[in-house]
Amino acid sequence: MSQAATEIVRISGHAGTVPGAGLNREFAVCKLVDTTTCIGCKACEVACLEWNGYTFTQTTFDNSYQTMPETAWNYWNLIKFNEHEREDGSLMLLMRKDQCMHCADPGCLAACPADAAIVQYANGIVDFQEANCIGCGYCMSGCPFNIPKFSPKARKVFKCTLCNDRVSQGLEPACIKACPTGCLHFGTKSEMKELAETRAAQLRDHSGHRDAGVYDPEGVGGTHVIYVLHDAKHPELYGGLPSNPRVPILVQLWKKPLRWIGNFGIIFGAVGVFIHYLRFGPKIVKADEPKTEGEGQ
Amino acid sequence: MNREPYLLPNGRVLRYSFRERLIHWMAGISYLYLLLSGLAFWTPWLFWIGVVLVGATVARELHPWFGILFMIAVALMYNMWARQMRKTPSDKAWWDAIGHYIRNEDDQVPSADRFNPGQKLLFWGFFVFGILLLISGLVLWFPQYIPWNVHVVRQISLFIHGVSFLFTVALFIIHVYMGTAMERGAFGSVIRGDVSRAWADHHHHSWYEQLLRNSTTQK
Amino acid sequence: MTNGWIDIKNTDMMLIMGGNPAENHPCGFKWAMEAKRNRNAKLISVDPRFTRTSSTADLFCQIRAGTDIAFLGGLIRYAIENNRIAKDYLVNYTNAAFIVKEGFKLPEDGLYSGFDAAAGKYDTSTWNYEQGGDVSGKANSAGSASSAPAGLPPNVAYDLTLQHPRCVFQLLKQQYSRYTPEMVERITGIPKDQYLKAIDMFTSVRKDGDMKKVATIIYAVGWTQHTFGTQIIRTAAMIQLLLGNVGRAGGGVNALRGHSNIQGATDMAGLYDSLPGYLKAPTPADADLAAYLKRVTPTASKPTMWDSFNYYSNTPKFVVSLLKAMYGPAATKENGFAFDYLPKVDRDYSWTHIWDDMYNGTVKGMMAFGMNGVMIGPDTNKNINALKKADWLVVGEIYPDETSEFWRAPGITTDEQKNIKTTVYRLPCAGFAEKDGSMTNSARWVTWKYAAVPPPGNARLDQDIIAQIFLRVRDLYKREGGKFPDPILNLTWNYADAAHPPLSQLAMELNGKALAELKDDKTGQVIKAGQQLPGFAWLKDDGTTMCGNWIYSGCWTEAGAQIQRRGTEDPSGLGVYPNWAWSWPANRRVLYNRASCDPDGKPWDPQRKQVWWNEASQSWAGNDVPDFKPDSNPKDHMGPFIMNPEGVGRLFAPIGVLADGPFPEHYEPIESPTKNLFHPDQSSNPLVKKFKTPYDKFGDPAEYTIVCTTYRLTEHYHYWTKNNPMNVQLIPEPFVEIPVELAQDKGIKGTDKVKVISARGEYIAKAFVTRRLKPLMIDGKKVYPIGLPIHQGFRGIAEDEGRDARTPANLLTPAVTDPNAHTPESKGFLVKLEKA
Repeated sequence: MSQAATEIVRISGHAGTVPGAGLNREFAVCKLVDTTTCIGCKACEVACLEWNGYTFTQTTFDNSYQTMPETAWNYWNLIKFNEHEREDGSLMLLMRKDQCMHCADPGCLAACPADAAIVQYANGIVDFQEANCIGCGYCMSGCPFNIPKFSPKARKVFKCTLCNDRVSQGLEPACIKACPTGCLHFGTKSEMKELAETRAAQLRDHSGHRDAGVYDPEGVGGTHVIYVLHDAKHPELYGGLPSNPRVPILVQLWKKPLRWIGNFGIIFGAVGVFIHYLRFGPKIVKADEPKTEGEGQ
Repeated sequence: MNREPYLLPNGRVLRYSFRERLIHWMAGISYLYLLLSGLAFWTPWLFWIGVVLVGATVARELHPWFGILFMIAVALMYNMWARQMRKTPSDKAWWDAIGHYIRNEDDQVPSADRFNPGQKLLFWGFFVFGILLLISGLVLWFPQYIPWNVHVVRQISLFIHGVSFLFTVALFIIHVYMGTAMERGAFGSVIRGDVSRAWADHHHHSWYEQLLRNSTTQK
Repeated sequence: MTNGWIDIKNTDMMLIMGGNPAENHPCGFKWAMEAKRNRNAKLISVDPRFTRTSSTADLFCQIRAGTDIAFLGGLIRYAIENNRIAKDYLVNYTNAAFIVKEGFKLPEDGLYSGFDAAAGKYDTSTWNYEQGGDVSGKANSAGSASSAPAGLPPNVAYDLTLQHPRCVFQLLKQQYSRYTPEMVERITGIPKDQYLKAIDMFTSVRKDGDMKKVATIIYAVGWTQHTFGTQIIRTAAMIQLLLGNVGRAGGGVNALRGHSNIQGATDMAGLYDSLPGYLKAPTPADADLAAYLKRVTPTASKPTMWDSFNYYSNTPKFVVSLLKAMYGPAATKENGFAFDYLPKVDRDYSWTHIWDDMYNGTVKGMMAFGMNGVMIGPDTNKNINALKKADWLVVGEIYPDETSEFWRAPGITTDEQKNIKTTVYRLPCAGFAEKDGSMTNSARWVTWKYAAVPPPGNARLDQDIIAQIFLRVRDLYKREGGKFPDPILNLTWNYADAAHPPLSQLAMELNGKALAELKDDKTGQVIKAGQQLPGFAWLKDDGTTMCGNWIYSGCWTEAGAQIQRRGTEDPSGLGVYPNWAWSWPANRRVLYNRASCDPDGKPWDPQRKQVWWNEASQSWAGNDVPDFKPDSNPKDHMGPFIMNPEGVGRLFAPIGVLADGPFPEHYEPIESPTKNLFHPDQSSNPLVKKFKTPYDKFGDPAEYTIVCTTYRLTEHYHYWTKNNPMNVQLIPEPFVEIPVELAQDKGIKGTDKVKVISARGEYIAKAFVTRRLKPLMIDGKKVYPIGLPIHQGFRGIAEDEGRDARTPANLLTPAVTDPNAHTPESKGFLVKLEKA
């Protein structure tokens, strides 16, 4: 958004066109998570906590290196671990950084009834504005990735902000800064997409991962967090990443068709009864007619 | 059955007892809050209602509690009226004459019992959709407790809650219209409880006849 | 490391074995990922368990803990058999062509020639080269055994055709001819096909004689923590010499140190048997300085027509400069530079001996600074019971640790506590962010660090505490006299503030200064008395220089603190960063980099030019500081391995370089599920000694059938992060990783409480049922491996709240050590497993 300040629209005494006029500047940002070089070190988990000012809490060992079963209202990103045995008997330890995907067509935003509780910026970041959140939890029903989490204390819902406060100042998100192996990348959507596709091709050509690919699901219009997966045909292996996420059909139905029908029906009903009264008036009880204009007292 | 005298000394008829009126307004007022707060969450155009109702967050917190209150009222009403709301043979003829009823050609409409089939429809409608609203409402009240592997329950609840709400609001519009403008004397029946004999005879003839037969006038 | 962290990005092939850098060195591991991303480098992971490092590997082999020499020996055999060796490198830069004396015997029965069973050690005189020059074509040379000197012969017999039956190359071939893939499978449990895939992949860098590609070997304590750990590393070094990878960018033998400054600690003689700069400690047999210097200063030993820099021939300069640094004016030519002030090391005083001595009453007290001996073990119970017998214990730490709390370890009753007479002093010390100084990383880069915050409350800096102790002891000696107080009274202590020595001054001391005016006749350069020295080339053995640590000479010169530099330029793109900090020696980043060129001085790989011979200037030049005599013409055939008297790399390690053999031989861990398949009558390392306290027990393999190993996780750091809420959140409880099959056998489900029992103690934790460890077939028998992290103990956040069983992992481990480096065998011991 600060880029707009440097875009020149008019130049005095200048012959010819304004340089750069009509350029399509890309605002959309993107976080690329390369699961093939992730070592599950959890620096990103800690960086997120520290940047956002959350305290460390008590956890329980649950037969996994995974810190907790799901993200939480105060734990916005989580490495999900899965021991996957391939057909040839060899093992993979799949590790995927789970956090808000910042969908282009966010289910949370579709479902949210509260004015300005969820906003989507031109750069693709989908941000919860807790001041406007009413704590209804509809966003939890709208999200296909199980990301928004309710805080019983604050009585509101929280999720990863793609470090909007950092990004808007030209910094990279905290998780990306902390990642030691450089498996996390940040840049424009097209840059990251290109980087991801190059890496996926490298995996296919040189590392024997025939099905390596990029996860950027169309069902939600693409996302501003994309993954490189060793096996893009089976995203569910990566800690339950949905293979074809969409804004849930019932939410879509509820949001548009049902609402239209309903609103129309209510207005129609209200107008209808008014018209009925105009046409037919009230029911008259004969015996009461002379003295009853209202009702018996 | 009739524990209180229905034919009053002043020549009027007691239509609804104190208990019945109390429970009706318990249901009515809680439904009103539910409707208003619900409309705020239903469409962005009416979100301002939430703000007016002491804040949208407060409205969201109170909405389910009023829902509980409403369903208690519905349960009590069920307890009171379910038997009287049962389908009777005369209902069919009444529905056949619905056109006359709407056009206020009441003399063409067959006699109604204490509750005419329209009122029965209202009762059962609120009962059935009320239950759906309750169940889906409980899910929407605590969506975080629905495990992710059955998360479709959250979405189904969202949808059903909306659909059920629409059905109840349709019934509500008609009910309020009829209870105020449409049927003179009806409003008083749920405030003071009594109606004129003529009113009783006109709108619920069979019931009135029954009363006369069973009557014990009170001094 | 011979190379460095950033240099790893230059590699084409990585063998990561006995190490788990993804988990334990995540920041350094990024360079391995860079190599994969930018060079399509391959990564082979060999480990007793499938780790987070293995998850990034192109190939993984699950190996039985302690069988690495079998794996690596088989690799040597394969490389030789398939001609995947660097022939020119081998002949010219290693001792492959040297002839070994008659009388030398390979250990087909588990013993080399010269074993003295009574003394429990070797007479290594047969492990030596023969004299005599060129003996090629002479199948059995006349070996002048009679005139063979006690040390290495100056003119070695050699056969450059590598055919002589007693040349090192043929002996090497013979030694590892037993290490067939079938044998390796039976010993390690790695299926033959998988093994062949791995070694084929690794040696493919030398396929068809290609010298451009480079492979690196990366390891950590998975290799050192065995009773033959040093020999495992030796095997890797030999492989890298055979394949011509030492001295190459992206190559080398690379140890990943386990602490940010452990390299610095060993550099400064944190080990009992060395003086700063890895100089050998004097023994009682060294009657005086001259005798000592004669013993420890090597003389060149090589084919006559070759040249050898034999840089350790300068040892007298290093030693005398050290003595001048320590004793100043009290060290004179007349008194042998106060050589008598140095303690003479008469036996093994290494870690496990300290605790054994304490148990037996000869060690009365201990000062432990940031060293949690109770948790480290091995054999924690032994250490606790040793402390019970000590008179006093001083613990310098940042929080109460298990060592300072030994007296209330779980299992010690309040009654028993009353009978423990040890006085325990707890000194609050400064944490790493609260002190300045320097840290030396695995890549030998010495970096100055600044304190971020001052120490809190009464916590003090380490050097201030040591200063207090020294000044007061010196004072006591001054006032009361005593037995030979001279070394204390005459120790130099010229710091600006004696009670608070600035570490910058210490660094300058380590760098060294001139004590008289020095002049270089060749260049005319003059150094005035009192000035910092530019480097160790200026050190003298006549008392005109002082230097606290010769390998650090150059770190703080007249030009300033080299270790404070932060220049981010890397003109060659090889990750050298010559102006960032300062690496020893002399800011060379890749050691032995002369070997990155062929015998004519041209780089093997023109794409990765490190150093080269510049014909015009008649000197060596480079993107890295040449690790070589700068003006040595390639015609003179000076060996790249300038620290060896031979000038070449040692495939064969002669005489007593290593106590247990000139070639590594597969020995089983002391507690092993199987007899040694090569020589069942000598299963384990013949030099390993067992202690004799009641706590030094060993398990019968018939009863303790499971092979156990210990390790570290990314989320914790040794024994102190269990005090930090962040780490405890990430991994809250101790666990033990067990194979799915073993869990099924015992009816154990994930998170069930289980007990791991060794002959020495019990460890109780939750079961982590996993596919990452599988049962192994060892010589046709199914053997289960398990593993457990070491991070939890009996004092910490979760421990204090009673949320776990408070059993340190090292309750299980045995106090047996490697005879060369004295590292305990913490990986590869026997246990049994039960539900708790």
